[in-house]
Amino acid sequence: MAAVYKALSKTDSKKDDETKTNGMFKENRQRVLMLTSRGVTFRHRHLLNDLYSLMPHSRKEAKLDTKTKLYQLNELAELYNCNNVLFFEARKGKDLYAWMSKPPNGPTVKMHVQNLHTMDELHFTGNCLKGSRPILSFDAAFDKEAHLVVLKELFTHAFGVPKGARKSKPFVDHVMGFTIVDGKIWIRCYQINETEADKSKSIPEGDVPVEEAPKKGRSTETSLNLIEIGPRFVLTPIVMLESSFGGPVIYENKEFVSPNQIRADLRKSKAGRFNRRSEAQIETKSKLGDMGLTTYGGRKNPKDPLDNQVLFA
Amino acid sequence: MAKAKLKQALAQFKGVDQKLERQKRLKKQAEKKKRSKAVDEEVELEEAEDGEDDEEDGGVELDLEAINDSDSSSNNEELTNGAGEDSKDDADGVDGVDGEDEEEEDIPFSDIASIASEDKGDIVPYQRLTINNITALQAAHKRIALPYSKLTFSQHQTITTAEPVTIEDVDDDLNRELAFYAQSLSAVKAARGLLKAEGVSFARPADYFAEMVKSDEHMGRVKAKLVDTAASKKASSEARRQRDLKKFGKQVQVAKLQERDKAKRETLDKINLLKRKNEPDLFDVELEDTATTVKKDRNAKRTSRGGANGAPNKRRKKDEKFGFGGKKRFAKSGDANSSADMKDYSVAKMKGRRGKARPGKDRRAAGRD
Repeated sequence: MAAVYKALSKTDSKKDDETKTNGMFKENRQRVLMLTSRGVTFRHRHLLNDLYSLMPHSRKEAKLDTKTKLYQLNELAELYNCNNVLFFEARKGKDLYAWMSKPPNGPTVKMHVQNLHTMDELHFTGNCLKGSRPILSFDAAFDKEAHLVVLKELFTHAFGVPKGARKSKPFVDHVMGFTIVDGKIWIRCYQINETEADKSKSIPEGDVPVEEAPKKGRSTETSLNLIEIGPRFVLTPIVMLESSFGGPVIYENKEFVSPNQIRADLRKSKAGRFNRRSEAQIETKSKLGDMGLTTYGGRKNPKDPLDNQVLFA
Repeated sequence: MAKAKLKQALAQFKGVDQKLERQKRLKKQAEKKKRSKAVDEEVELEEAEDGEDDEEDGGVELDLEAINDSDSSSNNEELTNGAGEDSKDDADGVDGVDGEDEEEEDIPFSDIASIASEDKGDIVPYQRLTINNITALQAAHKRIALPYSKLTFSQHQTITTAEPVTIEDVDDDLNRELAFYAQSLSAVKAARGLLKAEGVSFARPADYFAEMVKSDEHMGRVKAKLVDTAASKKASSEARRQRDLKKFGKQVQVAKLQERDKAKRETLDKINLLKRKNEPDLFDVELEDTATTVKKDRNAKRTSRGGANGAPNKRRKKDEKFGFGGKKRFAKSGDANSSADMKDYSVAKMKGRRGKARPGKDRRAAGRD
């Protein structure tokens, strides 16, 4: 209740600003509803748990029972005051699709999740505070195409922890990387490790004596390095809808081949061999029949008038 | 106002989704507008619409949002309509996204024969229709975009690299991960500077303890795994060393044996050579006289039967086995020889002049420790 009051009082005080900015909030306020469909495997569930631990501004919900009436998610999001939905849909107990949406009327994107590795199975030594705010690092390729720009915005909203979010910590100790390679989005999470630079290390760096002087002045020279935390996964955007879990399709990935298709093709390619062989068999049989070499069916040779059976009948 | 309230209550009772309804209405309007192309009329309608909304919502807070919403959605309608007919055709909503429908949308290549190899026999390749409604995408982005110019960096904390990350081979794990790492590291460096400039605390102080993403138990498992791998690596390297040593040792042994054999052969050869040199001339033969031959023969016969001293072979063997002759008694008793033996005699001992007294038992025990 207190949070609601706080929020209300804040908006009241800043109402003038808001009207100035054409109705847009000056602050970055995000809340993410996070849930899966039925039929997820343990890895999918662990991924959700990992993301939940990394995103203090998220709310985990029970599994959604339906896979067709996804517009129900809009109501759920409204119920929990969430303006982002991250929905993991499992198909056939093996394929995972991620839906990311901005209810009530933002765009929706459906992505295929591949190369999924949870924190548990990746034995990475990195660790970060639960609820610290990440730095989001985007590839410059995100600004190249219209659908990627939208995707970047959606990622920023969903994965970036807003300032002053509930349960968030005031330090920055991890970074999330989003990179586009091969038309897919690769996501990594690293811990930021700050260490005091060794003096022995700084001496060979400072070849020029002029540069060395200011370095000595700053006693707190630190070197940064990253340690991976996990999880790892790769997203392939499939389709974008104009509104939240509905509306016209505004983008469709031409290159995406559904895993069902791949499996079916594999099966068909195996079946193809059998079909070719059986066809060849039938062909030989018919050829032999045409030459009158088969016992049953095919062309019969005309009786020879000099055959013993004809001559001595 | 009472009427409006009644309307609202009725709508709630029926479970009508107002927003959906409104969107539908707006859609209809947009279509109508497209047909008539009367701009002024449209504005009027919109205003009327907004007025209705106000009545229905009955709130001031939501008012702003409502206007915003209707504006943006109408904008979108315009944009999508302007963008072309293809988006209209595919605007079936969510259903169009499902797997079954995807296959219907696909069209087979006309030139299958040119591509199809032997193994592809029955595969019908599909090509997806491209939908990339850029105007709609831009509108969608505009609708949700944060006002980055008005936000401080610490409010969004997003960094985009200056250059797109290029990775030649996606399957080259090491280089790919290195590129990701480099991207994140550069972002961290940039963000650190920006945050420091804004005066926001960056690194977690060493004495700040709070719940971590990975629990202690989890980190313990990670550590155990690390130790395990290190240990197994060490053990394997040790085993390899031992194996190498063993192999080497065997080689050494074999070499030594061979050397010894060689030396033996050489010495034997030398001896044979020497023997051959000292050998008398084979062709310098001299005949024995008969008497000596007979004597030799007799001697040989005797030695073959009874050994050197003439005893028969069996008796000799039995003597060896069971002992022979003489009495066995008093074999250990002293005799003249033994009593005359002065080997162990010592004058000092006989006179009681000892060098050093043997220490007591306790002292001996203490000295042993």
